[in-house]
Amino acid sequence: MVAKAQVLEEEKLPVAPAKDSVAASEVSLYRNVLKIKNEHTLENLGIAFYDAQTTIQWAYNGDQYFHAASTMKLAVLLGVFRQVERGELSLEAAVHIRNRFTSIVNQQPFMLDLGRDADPDVYGHLGRTLTIRELAYWMITKSSNLATNLLVEVVGVPTIQHALDELEIDGVRILRGVEDQAAFEAGLNNEVTANGLLKMLRLIADGRAYSKVASDEMLNIMLEQQYRSGIPAGLPKAARVAHKTGNISTVHHDAGIVFVEDRKPYVLVILTQFPAESARGTAVADVSRDIYNTIAGMTYE
Amino acid sequence: MSEPQQIKVVDAFDLDDELRSLLKPGEMVRDAQGRRKRLPRYFYEIPTHDAAIQIRLTPHFGINEFILVDLKEAQRLQQFPRYIPCAVRLLAFFLEQFRTVAGASIHIAVNGGYRSPAHKMSINATEHMWGTAADIYRIGPNILKTQELIAKFNDVAEELSDDVTVMKYGHDTGISVDDHVHIDLGYVTVVPREISEDRMEVPQENRPRFAFEERRRRERRAPQIAVTANNKSE
Repeated sequence: MVAKAQVLEEEKLPVAPAKDSVAASEVSLYRNVLKIKNEHTLENLGIAFYDAQTTIQWAYNGDQYFHAASTMKLAVLLGVFRQVERGELSLEAAVHIRNRFTSIVNQQPFMLDLGRDADPDVYGHLGRTLTIRELAYWMITKSSNLATNLLVEVVGVPTIQHALDELEIDGVRILRGVEDQAAFEAGLNNEVTANGLLKMLRLIADGRAYSKVASDEMLNIMLEQQYRSGIPAGLPKAARVAHKTGNISTVHHDAGIVFVEDRKPYVLVILTQFPAESARGTAVADVSRDIYNTIAGMTYE
Repeated sequence: MSEPQQIKVVDAFDLDDELRSLLKPGEMVRDAQGRRKRLPRYFYEIPTHDAAIQIRLTPHFGINEFILVDLKEAQRLQQFPRYIPCAVRLLAFFLEQFRTVAGASIHIAVNGGYRSPAHKMSINATEHMWGTAADIYRIGPNILKTQELIAKFNDVAEELSDDVTVMKYGHDTGISVDDHVHIDLGYVTVVPREISEDRMEVPQENRPRFAFEERRRRERRAPQIAVTANNKSE
């Protein structure tokens, strides 16, 4: 079945380009991506990458929307630094750590299931305070849902969406914080496209997300990411990745900026959606490896 | 009640314009039911963070525990010197008793002690603006997040005195609570012994006129100046 699907896709390809060309690399990449998609029985796959070294940009289903899962936390980070840059928020401002939020649907209060949140560093401070900087750090590096919802409460969803709009980042829609079950049941979810996240990460990588200082702050937080089963798992150990993962029951995403020695960084977004009965698998790492190999072997035309 | 004389008492009318606009001494605010309440005027002045830690209101409660706030509080009021209504001493007295009966340490949440009228949670008058309310999120090892725990400690608090009010368990903000125990003594104001409420008898800090009087004088003068200006332009 897998082989047949692969053959069908290959039949659609144009006449093979010269073997050492960029076009050949893209065709090869396209084939490999389809292979990975079939091997992992993915329902959906979205990829976007931009290589600052060769200035090549490539996407597969780049404009298809996926449930954002925790990749939405990048947008929250952007919203936080917007307010910091405008002087409306201090990174050292204290925030009361409280597990009580309001649903966007019925305005009813809800609490996070702290057993699911991987971050005792935040919920261990219940009743006390952490700074905005600390919350931003835990939100990204350990994907703390509690930190995320607290920051969403501080800056507000409209501000986050406004930040995306003013930086002309299409393809990232933020409606709410996380674990708002009533909103989830009403179909109100945060959504992202691979191209949308790519745009955001490129701004950060280029130092254009509000300012060089703000971009560097965000980049440094992302470099401390503690979950490394996505993009980093497909790279040589020496590679450094500033990234954010996103996992819920049927999606596994990773979006990051990859720093490899002696070359400019490349930005990579991999969004995967798999059937409910399937395990998460290694599709993201496999795509990451494939793209790294492609870039490593790429020659200029 | 150790060494209360260490804490300076101030008449908030004597504070600078910014502080007065934030603390609103003597001004009327409405509670959630629309009833008018007059805000406190006499405050303890806490000069430094170290002083906040050192000043004990009771054996187990330092004044620092009642002034923990986050970014919801006005920025100026997060800086020292800090101000807290003098009635906080009564609250500490009851909390000390509560602690004894509960048999465990009491932890007041951030934003759970004094909240100024400028605090973002101060939408209506609440006892927090009088320094007479405490939101307790942890008692001993227990994080108060279940109905059973909150009801249990509510009962303990209510047994202390008829003057103690608690909020029952529920999810309606401002009416009930679901992640802490709320204890308050009502809208109590305190006039410390060392204060004379007749300002003309005992001028504070050798000031011949008080800040609110200066302000009123300016306000009275302002319209006359405006009228004069208008007359000139005509």
